[in-house]
Amino acid sequence: MASRAEPGAGRRLLAAWLAGVFAVSALRDARLLAGVALLALLLFRRGLARNLWRTARAVGPVTLGLSLVSLGFLRLTAGAWPPPEPYLALALRTGVIGLATFSVLDRVDLLRALAPYPTLSRLLVVTLAQIHALRLVATESREGLRSRLPRRPGALDVVRNAGGITAVLFTLAARNARDISDAMRARGF
Amino acid sequence: MHVPDGFISPQLSLPAWAACAPLWTWAARRHLGRAAVESLPIIGTLTALAFVVQTIMIPVPGGTSTHLVGVMLLALLYHPLLAFLCESLVLAVQALFFGAGGVTVLGVNALAMGLLGPLCGWLAWRALRPLSERAALFAAGWVSTQAATLAVVGALALQHRLDPGYFPMPPAVTLAAMMLPSLAVAGVVEGLYTVFALSLVRRARLRGVEG
Repeated sequence: MASRAEPGAGRRLLAAWLAGVFAVSALRDARLLAGVALLALLLFRRGLARNLWRTARAVGPVTLGLSLVSLGFLRLTAGAWPPPEPYLALALRTGVIGLATFSVLDRVDLLRALAPYPTLSRLLVVTLAQIHALRLVATESREGLRSRLPRRPGALDVVRNAGGITAVLFTLAARNARDISDAMRARGF
Repeated sequence: MHVPDGFISPQLSLPAWAACAPLWTWAARRHLGRAAVESLPIIGTLTALAFVVQTIMIPVPGGTSTHLVGVMLLALLYHPLLAFLCESLVLAVQALFFGAGGVTVLGVNALAMGLLGPLCGWLAWRALRPLSERAALFAAGWVSTQAATLAVVGALALQHRLDPGYFPMPPAVTLAAMMLPSLAVAGVVEGLYTVFALSLVRRARLRGVEG
C-alpha cells in the first residue's frame, strides 16, 4: 500500500482532483486530451501499472463496447466509417479521469481527510463497517448456495437465494443499527 | 446502468448536481434532521444493505451477468426519498472508495437510479396494489429498472444532441444497447427479486425484527 498524504494535504489533493476531473470532463479535443493523458502518466507514476489496470477494467468494457457497436451501426447505416476523433477523445477522457481517480484514492486517506465533517464521517464509518459485515454474510450465503446445489446455480436459484439473504441482511442491519445507535448515545453523541 | 465519468459534459453534469442538492438537503432534513443519532446508523446500514445487494450478480444466458439494484426495496419499505438518499450514498461510496461510476456524473446517476427509478416503481406499486400485491411488487421492480435505464439513455441522448463531437454514440445505439438487456433480463430479475425479498423481509419483521 502506498503511503497516504497528511489530512490537510489530503484535502487539498481531493479538491484538486475534484476540480481536475470536472475540467477534464469538459474537454473534447483528442490532441489536448492526449497531452493531458501524458501529463497524468507523469504525475501519477507511483502505482501506475496497478492503477492503469484498474482503470482499464473499470471503464474499458463500457467505453470500448459502446464505441464498437456505435461504429458498426454507423458503418451499416451511413455506408462509411464515422470520424474516429470523437471516439478517441471519449476513450482518452474516461481513461484520464479513471486513472486520476484511482491514483488520488490511493494517495488519500478519505476518512482522515473528512474528519472536520463529523456527521459525514460518522455516516461513512457506519456505512463502510456495515458493508464489510454484510458482505461477509452475503459471501457465505452465496458459497452455501453453491455447495447445496449439485450444479451451477441458475438465475432463478440466485434470485431466490438473494431474497433469503436480503431478509437475513435486513434483520442483521436493523439489529446493528440499533446497537450502533445505543453505543453512540452511551458515548454522549 | 451507471453512466461512467467522461460520458457527460459539465453542461449536463453540473445542472444534475444542482438539481440533486436541494433534494439531498430535503431528504437529509426529513430523515436525519430531528434525531441524527438515531437515524445516522439506520441510514448507514440501509445504504450498506443496498450496496451489498448490488454486488449480487445474476447469471444471464450467453455467459454474461447482471446485478440487482435493490433500492426499490427501500422505497417500498420506507419512502422513495429515503431510497434516493441511500442510493446517492451508495453511488458516492462506489465512486470514492471503490472507483466505480464517477463523481462528475453522480448527480445524473442519483437522479436516474435513486430518484426516477424508485419513484416510478413506487407509483406503479401503489396503482396496482388493489389488484394483486404480488403483481404490484413485480411491476414495481420491473418499472423501476426500465425508468432508471430510460433516464440514463435520455441523459446520454441529450448529451449527443448537445454535442455529437463529445458523445458520438447515436441515441438509437444507446437505446438498443441499454434497453434490450433491461427489458429482457434486468427488469424481470429485479421484479422477481422484489417479490421474493419483500415477502421474506415482511415475514422477518413480523417475527419481531423491529422490536
